[in-house]
Amino acid sequence: MAEVDLTRLRVEYGDTTALAGVDLSVRDGEFFTLVGPSGCGKTTTLRCVAGFEEPTGGRVTVGGEPMAGVPPEARGVGVVFQNYALFPHMTVGENVAYGLKFADPPGGVGRDERVADLLDLVDMAGFEGRDPGTLSGGQRQRVALARALAPGPRLLLLDEPMSALDARLRERLRVQVREIQQELSITTVYVTHDQEEALAVSDRVAVMNDGRVEQVGAPRDVYDAPATRFVAEFLGDNNVLTGEVRASTAEGCTLDVRGHALRVPPCDAAVGDRLTVCVRPEDLRVGGGGENRLTVAVGSAEFLGDTTRLHCEWEGTPVTVRADRDPTGTVTVGFDPADVHVIG
Amino acid sequence: MSRGSSDPAHAGGDGRGRSADRYALPVLAVVTALLLGALFYYPVATVLVDAVVVNGRLTAGPLVEVLTGEFYVGWLARLLTDPAALVRETLREPGALGTLGLFGFTAWQALLSTVASVALGLPGAWVLARFEFPGRRALRSVTILPFVLPSVMVAVGFYSMFGASGTLNALLSALGLSELDLLPSLGAIIVAHAFYNAPLVTRVTTAAWESVDAGAVETARSLGADPRRAFRDVVVPQLLPAVLMGATLTFVFTFASFPIVLALGGARYATVEVFVYSAVRRLDYHEAAALAAVEAGVSLTLTAIYLRYERAQSQRRRDTRPPARESLLPDSWTRERVVSRLAVAGYALVVAVVFLGPLASMIYGSLTVEGRLSLDAYRFLLRRQTAGASFQVRPLPAVVNSLLFGVGTLAVALPTGVAMSVLTTRRFRGRWLVDALSMAPLAVSGIVVGLGMLRGLVFGVTAFGYRFTVTGTVAVVAAHAVGAYPFVVRTVAPPLESLDRSLVESARALGASRLRALVDIELPLVRAGVVAGAAFAFAISVGEFDATVILAEGSGSYTMPVAVERFIGRRLGAATAMGTVLLAVTTLSFLVIERVGGEGGGFGG
Repeated sequence: MAEVDLTRLRVEYGDTTALAGVDLSVRDGEFFTLVGPSGCGKTTTLRCVAGFEEPTGGRVTVGGEPMAGVPPEARGVGVVFQNYALFPHMTVGENVAYGLKFADPPGGVGRDERVADLLDLVDMAGFEGRDPGTLSGGQRQRVALARALAPGPRLLLLDEPMSALDARLRERLRVQVREIQQELSITTVYVTHDQEEALAVSDRVAVMNDGRVEQVGAPRDVYDAPATRFVAEFLGDNNVLTGEVRASTAEGCTLDVRGHALRVPPCDAAVGDRLTVCVRPEDLRVGGGGENRLTVAVGSAEFLGDTTRLHCEWEGTPVTVRADRDPTGTVTVGFDPADVHVIG
Repeated sequence: MSRGSSDPAHAGGDGRGRSADRYALPVLAVVTALLLGALFYYPVATVLVDAVVVNGRLTAGPLVEVLTGEFYVGWLARLLTDPAALVRETLREPGALGTLGLFGFTAWQALLSTVASVALGLPGAWVLARFEFPGRRALRSVTILPFVLPSVMVAVGFYSMFGASGTLNALLSALGLSELDLLPSLGAIIVAHAFYNAPLVTRVTTAAWESVDAGAVETARSLGADPRRAFRDVVVPQLLPAVLMGATLTFVFTFASFPIVLALGGARYATVEVFVYSAVRRLDYHEAAALAAVEAGVSLTLTAIYLRYERAQSQRRRDTRPPARESLLPDSWTRERVVSRLAVAGYALVVAVVFLGPLASMIYGSLTVEGRLSLDAYRFLLRRQTAGASFQVRPLPAVVNSLLFGVGTLAVALPTGVAMSVLTTRRFRGRWLVDALSMAPLAVSGIVVGLGMLRGLVFGVTAFGYRFTVTGTVAVVAAHAVGAYPFVVRTVAPPLESLDRSLVESARALGASRLRALVDIELPLVRAGVVAGAAFAFAISVGEFDATVILAEGSGSYTMPVAVERFIGRRLGAATAMGTVLLAVTTLSFLVIERVGGEGGGFGG
């Protein structure tokens, strides 16, 4: 049992508030990701769980035990940092074995065997005698992961572990981390600013902004049904539109956005309410199939390989469209009410 | 995989052994604070109390006397008592201002020494920063030597170079010229101070010069500035703070300079330090205390300004591309190049006379008797003299004491310095205050600490119904440790501070206590700084004079520097031999610092 519960967690430094009351529950064995822009409080949250940061309010429990006053070394957490933090005066093997000085290797195996097992797990078998300085970034990060896992922690905390690596390596390594996490079914809290990474590996994600949690849920749910405008715009491209409700029935609502009527799914808003909705660029069809149509002016096009991202303007608001070619001038885009998500 | 909470090592509740560990840092802080209090703040406070309490009664008498007496403050005294008359007389006869007084003279010689040190040091920075030549890096490292060179040894060097029977006069008479009478004189004091402090100016200025971004100069040039203009607009503003820092430190050091003035100034040129010392010898403790208190006030103020300034400066460091150096021997010669090389050669000559001359004269003097090679002077050091009155300083005990005290100092200063580094590199409110309090021993002269210890612990302190006294030996080691530990802090704290904090956090997450992480991770990674700090501490102890001479008065715990001072003028051979031993010990320490400690940590390099 190593679920993590954060209750009304607050961290303040003088006048600045890093965490303004965070409530989160991480389930046992879950890969849980904290994602958000820099300064949103995700790393601070992780540091409170690790015990590096003393919250100024609220509480942290791990496996049901309150963590207040428990020093980091007594929490049974494995931590991997962005900069690897390998001990430069120790070999790879000594690094991985370091935590075994304070706890017997789990499973009753010997220390050397445990070190070899862990290095094998991260595809670094036979590197025991190497100096960390001679390793590549990806290798260092895998050694850091092996080191964090060696004492058999009940919780794995990863603080932007991929940020210092190049894009391709990052993708490979995150798959490997996910596989290892599944194999060990270890509760994992992962911090990243990269929304794509968050969506790719997690069981659930928490989107954070300004010291608060905006939304928690499975990646697909959060992506498809953002609860706030911030989440809608942070995770992937999105077109957020705000208008006034003209009609609201069980079949759907009609919205007046800048003088244009848009059909959106049914919602419990009353006629006259302001309503914010969003529609993904990939749901906008150039050429105009669908119940809703917008005539947009194409500004610039970004060729992304598999698709082209068009930056357009519609009634003074920017609209992003995905297309497989890059038209110029004005184009009509269409979309179905079912593809519109009502934020509220 | 998940570890149950029954795992004793990682259970939420703390085991007993662990909780002891958890208080390790607070305990360390308290112990360090107590030690500092007993070894530094208590003695200094004793001096302050001595300055204002006479015969058990609070009085401003001694302080007022020191601050207004004509003997102490010169014409300033009349500015306070009878300003109108002073102004009237000065207007009528501008030259008749009167004497400077003790403080005035002390400040005056410090000012002259500072000017001389800057004048001698700046060209050195120019040579080191602008030219490339074999041995440049070695020469650059040697600029840290003054920190470990015993000042009394410098005095011996100057004696054997410029003294009545020194190298200079030997040279002059060999050339058929008349001999010069250069000692004692204010000039000798100032040149000796320049010898001591110019390398410091060179060091900080060179460091600043090397951190000037070549890109900034190139930008100025591309915007239309000629080389001279670019130098004035871009380089000079970045050098000025460093020069100012070097000058401030030089002023602080020379204001409180003691053995050099004592040895080269004779009775005529006494500074506050020398006068405090003679007051102690006259057993006039209240006057000594009042003088020492005022002097410490001046030094502490200047040091506080310096530290503030240094902090502001160090925050502006960034990654830069240093300006390129040109070879000292260029492929083609232009008029400008010839002129600059002549200037370098001229400076090299001055350096040879001022820096190498005294050291070479001292070594030469120690190896000769009336012009013939002889090891007699060294034999004298090792002879166990049974003859001679007990008040005479005997050489062998001095050598043994010096080494013993050095080891003792190491044993106290190294752990204290490391502990202080660990404590002050943590981020917490009021850290600047702790920083300043822990660095104060750098600013307070050994005389003050020595006097305080003498009056306090050596004479005896009554507390809890017991009377505590310590022997001279313990007091000397304590005083040396106080003087030495800031150097340990200055070499250990910077690398400790620059360590990635995630290293310690990784260790802690892996199960190491804070103390364990310190021992396993931090200390091994700053080992070079610790070794360099140890070398500093040892060298400082071996060369310490100010506190030792006060505490050794009438006891057997005198050291080599004290013996050297006694021998100067009486047995110059013995003085030079002992000076050479001191030079060897400090050079060895320097080599350790240089080889292991790299750039000398927080010493402006």
